[in-house]
Order: sequence, then structure tokens, then C-alpha cells
Amino acid sequence: MSYTLLVTGPPYGTQNASTALLFSRAIFTSNYKLLSVFFHFDGVLNANKLISFSSDEYNLIEKWVDLNKTFGVKLNVCISAAYRRGIVKNQVYNEFSRSISTLKSSFHLTGFSELARYIEKSDRIIQF
Amino acid sequence: MKNIAFVFSHVPHGTSLSREGLDSVLSISVINQNISIFFVGDGIFQLMRNQNPQCILSRNYVSSFGVLPFFDINKLYYCKDSLIERGYFNKYDFFLNVSIISRIHIREKLEQHDLIINF
Repeated sequence: MSYTLLVTGPPYGTQNASTALLFSRAIFTSNYKLLSVFFHFDGVLNANKLISFSSDEYNLIEKWVDLNKTFGVKLNVCISAAYRRGIVKNQVYNEFSRSISTLKSSFHLTGFSELARYIEKSDRIIQF
Repeated sequence: MKNIAFVFSHVPHGTSLSREGLDSVLSISVINQNISIFFVGDGIFQLMRNQNPQCILSRNYVSSFGVLPFFDINKLYYCKDSLIERGYFNKYDFFLNVSIISRIHIREKLEQHDLIINF
């Protein structure tokens, strides 16, 4: 069974993203396949590398990166939702023309066409 | 090609959820045309005529639903029970041609789809 997860909750403030993370781990312990996690709506904030968690709190963003490194799960972020929320990659910024990025590496900016392809490939789409 | 059901169950303004939901419907329709849209609960307010969201500093994205027929998305369903609960009965209150069906039929139709995405 192959899964794609659609995450629409931010990393802090609601339970959506943390439940999605627990679910994705459960997929691997059950020997099912997780093809991709797609972040949309406020879920794109999971890719914000500027969010800082206090040391006694669970750092959800790092755990998504771990998931990507350990299992090779693709972390796709909806590009239009991301830009509206300040999640950018290599934007030219201020008078110094420096290129800045607020997108955490391991996350990829993609469009909905990517999600549509995963919908065709996956047996199940679970929305959080 | 899979059958996709999009369910709109939130009010159009106050959060951007439905607006971004509409964006995703239009983008996905480029690849997959087997799309049905259901308006249930507070989602029935999405297609209401005569909205003035600029009064609350929101953009009137609701008229963008009008492009759905040009994307060949014609399967639009309204939940009759939700309409009755909120005091609206008339299909002419909405600016697209929608089918008004009971909650039980909504459920039956949803079961015919491969996946449901909720906004």
C-alpha cells in the first residue's frame, strides 16, 4: 500500500502536522510505502527554517528533515501557498541584492500538478 | 484516472482555506478532469450572490468559482440539509448551476470517489 500525506496544519499551534508525522512513522513500521508528504495551506510553515522551538519542545521541522534523510520521503511544498506566507527560496533581497531563502533544505517547492501525479500513483491520500 | 471529490465545508471569508482550495481545484483539473465539488455545512456560502468582502478588506475571490465551467468542472453538488439549516432554499441565490441533493445522496456520491480532499 502506498500513501501520500496532505498536511494543512502549521508546525506549532495545531495538532495536524504532528499527527501527520506520527502517521508517517507508522507507515514505515507497517512496511507500507510513503511516496510523498505534500504541504499546503498553513502546512507550508513546516518548511520555514526561521521557526525556532524552545529546547524542551519537540522540533517538528527537524523531524520532517529526519524523515527525508532516513527514508527518502519527498517533502513537497505548494509554491503558491508558500510564497504567500514568506517561505521563499533564493529571492533577491534589499539593497545588497543578496539572495535569501527561508525554505529549509530537504523541502522542495512544487506545484499542484505534482500533487495530481502523486494522487494517481498512491493507493491512499490522507489529509491532516 | 482517479475520481476526486473536493469538499468545501468552511465559510468563504475569515480564513484563506477555501480560496487556496479553489486554486488547488483549478490546478489539479489541468491533469485530472474527473472532479466533483461538494458544498456542505458552511461551505454553502461559497457561491452566494451579492457578496461584498471588500468591506472586510478581503478580495472577492468567490467570483473565481465562475471559471469552473470553462475547466469542464460541472459536477457541483449542494447539500440540501445544510441549506435548510441555514435558511436558504433557492438555487437562484447561487451564481453557478448547482445540483441540490440531500445529505444521504451526498454521502452516496462521495462513496463513488477514490479520494476526498476537504477545504
